[in-house]
Amino acid sequence: MNTTGLKIGSRVAVLARWFLGGIFVYMGLVKALDPAAFLKLVREYEMVGNSVLLNSIASALPWFEVFCGVLLLTGVAVRGSALVVLGMLIPFTLIVLKRALAIASAEGIFFCAVKFNCGCGTGDVLICQKLVENSGLMLLALLPLVGLGKKRALRFSLWPTGTPEPTTVPS
Amino acid sequence: MKRVLLEALLVAAVGAVIAFGANVLSPRGLNLTEDYFHGETLPVPRANANRTNAVTAGTNSATDPVIARLREKGLQIVNGEQAAELFHDPLYQQGAIIFIDARNDEHYQGGHIPGAYQFDNYHPENYMGTVFPVCQAAQKIVIYCNGGNCEDSQFAALTLRDAQIANDKLFVYTGGITEWTNRGNAVEVGDRNSGRTHK
Repeated sequence: MNTTGLKIGSRVAVLARWFLGGIFVYMGLVKALDPAAFLKLVREYEMVGNSVLLNSIASALPWFEVFCGVLLLTGVAVRGSALVVLGMLIPFTLIVLKRALAIASAEGIFFCAVKFNCGCGTGDVLICQKLVENSGLMLLALLPLVGLGKKRALRFSLWPTGTPEPTTVPS
Repeated sequence: MKRVLLEALLVAAVGAVIAFGANVLSPRGLNLTEDYFHGETLPVPRANANRTNAVTAGTNSATDPVIARLREKGLQIVNGEQAAELFHDPLYQQGAIIFIDARNDEHYQGGHIPGAYQFDNYHPENYMGTVFPVCQAAQKIVIYCNGGNCEDSQFAALTLRDAQIANDKLFVYTGGITEWTNRGNAVEVGDRNSGRTHK
């Protein structure tokens, strides 16, 4: 790839990081500002029977998303943040898919006609649209994860370039 | 790759601490040990067109999952007609009959049954001081939320019952504010007794 291509690729990666970070900050704040509503939506997934665990998810997850979004926006610990974001998006998408399949089956409607509030921070949404959106976000998360979008990052990696790979994970 | 994994672990750990801390500091934060659903881990089935119509028509069908669950909990039910009768009863003006809106600030301010007290079950500490004395003094307490599959009126009733408000005073208006407005009844906007009502 020539220099111009690399520059464009680098800019696209930075924009992708900002966009992904912005989306996570926005969606996290929507839920964090009304955690009771999010709590009710999490309960509808029927996956958590314990009230303390349910409350913990509903109260902490939105702020956790905001935190990850801020890290991506500012460019701190970018690859780790992208991995965490991807680690949230994949199971969330599978859970939303499972619930949509259950709704389609229970109501006898076409899968893509299923519309419900998935607790994602965007209100009622058509499932097929949601799946496309989440797939897009996962692709965007892959860019910083592979090391793209280093420009305009405060501290892309927590470890300075050139330091050896950590050999053990601290307890 | 190990570096990325370690970074992700650090992000997750610091993020979790910050997230729980933000919940504690947030005025809208949840109490982690509170059982807001009173042991009901499963929600009532999602509303479909038939159920929505039944609620709008003000029926109290025993097959309705919301009503079945209320009865299972030993709570009494009122339909739209009964709610309107209680609202127009002279005892309502005397405080012997009260209405309680179990929705959040935004919904309550947007329009509630005139004179209804607000009691958001997810922040009971903000409302109990006002609501508890009037509940003790009242003979009948009608609790409602949005209607349809909304369960907040049920949970608010159970919270009040847990606070030693007599169960025979508690009535859940299952049609909720949706049915109330569909029947052409007036709603009050803003604070309680704001005087700003419309149909």
